[in-house]
Amino acid sequence: MTGRRVRAWLLVGALLGGCTAREAPAPFRVALVTPGSIADAAWNSGAFTGLNWIHDSLGVPVSHVEARTPAEQEEALRTYAEQGYNLVFGHGFEFQGPAERVSTEYPGAVFIITSGERVQGNVAPLIFRLHEASYLAGMVAGGVTKSGMIGFVGGVELPPVREASEAWVAGARAVNPQVRSRTTYLNNWDDAALGREAARALIRVGADMLHHNADAAAIGVFQAARETQGVYVFGANADQAALAPAQVLGSAVIDLPRAFLLVAREVQGGTFVPRVESFGLASGVVQYVPNHALDSLVPAALAARVRAAEDSIRQQDGP
Amino acid sequence: MDPMAVAGDVLVAAVGIATPLALAATGEVLAERSGVVNLGIEGAMLFGALGGAIGATVAGSATGLGVGILAGVLVAALFAAVAIGAGADQIITGTAVTLASVGLTGTIYRQFYGPAGVGLSLPTLSPIPIPFLADLPLIGDALFAQPVTTYLMYILVPLVWYLLFRTRPGLAVRAVGEDPTAARAAGVSVRLTRAWAVLAGGALAGLAGATLVLAQVGTFTERMTAGRGFIAIAIVVLGRWNPVGAGLAALLFGLATALQFALQAAGLDVPYQFFLMLPYLLTLFALAGAVGRGQAPAALGKSEG
Repeated sequence: MTGRRVRAWLLVGALLGGCTAREAPAPFRVALVTPGSIADAAWNSGAFTGLNWIHDSLGVPVSHVEARTPAEQEEALRTYAEQGYNLVFGHGFEFQGPAERVSTEYPGAVFIITSGERVQGNVAPLIFRLHEASYLAGMVAGGVTKSGMIGFVGGVELPPVREASEAWVAGARAVNPQVRSRTTYLNNWDDAALGREAARALIRVGADMLHHNADAAAIGVFQAARETQGVYVFGANADQAALAPAQVLGSAVIDLPRAFLLVAREVQGGTFVPRVESFGLASGVVQYVPNHALDSLVPAALAARVRAAEDSIRQQDGP
Repeated sequence: MDPMAVAGDVLVAAVGIATPLALAATGEVLAERSGVVNLGIEGAMLFGALGGAIGATVAGSATGLGVGILAGVLVAALFAAVAIGAGADQIITGTAVTLASVGLTGTIYRQFYGPAGVGLSLPTLSPIPIPFLADLPLIGDALFAQPVTTYLMYILVPLVWYLLFRTRPGLAVRAVGEDPTAARAAGVSVRLTRAWAVLAGGALAGLAGATLVLAQVGTFTERMTAGRGFIAIAIVVLGRWNPVGAGLAALLFGLATALQFALQAAGLDVPYQFFLMLPYLLTLFALAGAVGRGQAPAALGKSEG
């Protein structure tokens, strides 16, 4: 009896937390499962905007739910597939395993895993080489830093997060081989107060350039920069200049809505073939977006060097 | 770098991290001393954080603190109505209140500030150095150059201790927590006393949540309490159901967390996972060492008293 009560409350919590079913069933429907809140101003909010674009541009019903634990994530994917959704986005590397387990039972649905690993039946990854943009952010940091120390705050050490952190350091060292770097992990995507403490600890050891890949927890990183004179931050996943207009030098951005719409169009049109779809700087889906309000802090020669590096990465990528 | 300065910086961070934990834990001491385990304080903190953000947006930081406290009291009132008024299971009620709070705060936040992201950036309460005391070596900045919420904590922790152990209402709270039948025979209303204790605890949890927003992050983010309410409940045990003990235990946890980040930032060649588990490991050891005989109120968690 008590178990049933707990489950009933869990259901209430889940409904209040994240369900936004939008319309009655129709032939083509698209669903999104995010691993965290869509109010994170970055990774998840971008996906939600993408879902809304699909709704607006293709005129199809869409639905979204949040699922944080592996068990919830698998359940959410299964529920959407069971209800007949044709395209289900699992928004993050952590959905690869759950999607592979669910997909065999629902061969009619297409599962797209953002930052996924590989193609498996009807599961296909959408890979964003965000590290190409983080590399450019690192170049700017390496050229602008006065202390010679840069810091990175990561949420959970997933492969895409580690790649971004490594590229950030490599970019800085390409400009200034003497740059020292520190990386801190929070093991958490939500705790902005801890994000702030992590950033403050990095600032205390001398880091004056910060970058992150920590979703909502990174809001504390921006706050720490606002509190400290001479510390600058680089946003991730979305253009985050608005979070600290006088401290954000630039952002490594993924144009998630564009990528989502691209895939949804193909699936709706029946032309989709499961494949590894990878976006880098060349595609325009991944970009380094400078905060032009602070252009005066970036020497012209450095800006030119960053642009040159961007061009050479684009050419290596191919069209 | 000067090792004294490094240690001082770690202590500043430790007290900052400990402040909301100590406030919430002190509130939970009150509730548990009256015989009620309130797992809903995680939810009360979360609502306190949201109330703090909304109040501060409308009318400044002081209003924010007030609205945060009020929000915490309202969540505690919901818990009290179900767990004390209707006599439902405390653990299940508390869990339900916290889960509902997670969902509701998210929904309300999105209604206020839009779904796509961070709509607000509030000025945070700046540290107020206390003359002379703030100049003490090592501990001066840590203890006496903090935001006003930390000073509130310094006042509230001993105040709750005094209330609990030196006043008649405090005696009543402890009596209903130890032996409700005897307390009732002595003319003390068990339900009313417990309800007051839980509401006061909710006020402290709300203040703790508002502290996170107004003294630290400068904005609300969903689930931003991230389990601090549950850590506070562990801290109550570690502090042996004594407000002062809980305050010290919160400081220990804050110190371990601050140290953890300092060590990660130091770039040592040690896996970061080791540092991440440090606060929890330390708490576990302290718990194993500190908790000897049964110190818990005898009627703790029993709904019908």
